[in-house]
Amino acid sequence: MSSVEFLNLAGTISFGILSLAFFLTIIRIIIGPSLPDRVIALDLLVYIGISYIAVVVIYTGYFLYLDIASALGLVGFLATVAFARFILHRGKTDEPVKKSDKETNS
Amino acid sequence: MNFALGSIVLALIWAAITASFTLLNLILGWAIAFMALWLIRKNLASPVLFSKARKIVALGALFFYELALSAIRVAFLVLKPNMKAQLKPGFIAFPLTAKSDGEITLLANLITLTPGTLSVDVSKDKKVLYVHALSVTDKEALIKSIADGFESKIIEVFK
Amino acid sequence: MIVTIFQYFAGFLMLLGSAFCLLAAVGILRLPDIYTRMHAASKAGTMGTGLLLTAIAFVAFDGAIILRAIAAFVFLLLTAPVAAHLLARAAFLTGHKPTEMTIINELDIKKLDK
Repeated sequence: MSSVEFLNLAGTISFGILSLAFFLTIIRIIIGPSLPDRVIALDLLVYIGISYIAVVVIYTGYFLYLDIASALGLVGFLATVAFARFILHRGKTDEPVKKSDKETNS
Repeated sequence: MNFALGSIVLALIWAAITASFTLLNLILGWAIAFMALWLIRKNLASPVLFSKARKIVALGALFFYELALSAIRVAFLVLKPNMKAQLKPGFIAFPLTAKSDGEITLLANLITLTPGTLSVDVSKDKKVLYVHALSVTDKEALIKSIADGFESKIIEVFK
Repeated sequence: MIVTIFQYFAGFLMLLGSAFCLLAAVGILRLPDIYTRMHAASKAGTMGTGLLLTAIAFVAFDGAIILRAIAAFVFLLLTAPVAAHLLARAAFLTGHKPTEMTIINELDIKKLDK
């Protein structure tokens, strides 16, 4: 097998593996059970998205897409920080401190 | 990092990210870096000494090694069928020797990316760092390994 | 010759990186509570994405692109622990309980600076 064929095969397999990872993460987002759980899963979803773009870059050779990966990382980080602030804020205002996993089905 | 050195480094990073090393682009990058540094001029720390470069590189190498180790360990843990039996999570209070805010921030970030530990919070008086660990079999040994590994190296770099 | 070796190596890195991403997703699904899940997401996830970005650096053969891939990786390494730390802190301060398997809990909510 030549190196280019191997690279293409590795790209195809990586797409498959990443799709599976995407699917598993989405299951966690759906079943929850609490809001922080979902936010962690969303954070991981951003990482998997960046990974997808990285594989696309190698697979197609359009290195321009790398900038999109950097930008996605930035936006994903800001989103997670904003979510953390939101969780902190909401927990302090309208919910008692001792509330466990049942809350967020809303 | 002082003003001149900082703006030159930032200009080079600008040229690298915009992918062109022409003179005009470097000047543009330098102008932007100058403005950015001017905005935060009150918070600029004292000049970094180049003699510390070797220690910083050693810290970086240790960090990458530990990151790889931790990812592999988490991966193996997740794959085990009897995962729940091996899981002994716990919150640990880690007494800090590091004093300044910069040291504590760096230590907390490094702890998060190393095997089995995740920093959660710092106490009000900045003396204790609370760490969540995946498997607490020996608490003292865990605290000792962090204190002797990263913390001593970080203090060396900042001294 | 070196191109061939680098391409084989990049393919290998791609497979390894996506395997780490998958394992992070499995960890998110299997681990029992918020704090342990955070371990899987912040470590295995960062590692997987980092390996894929490194793979780009091996196939690019262009200084600017290699630098950009490394810059993206470094940015990821800087932000991932901060995000995990903020989330863990927010979850703890709002009273999300750790799993019953937790054997030591020295964290006292009164000592923390809200």
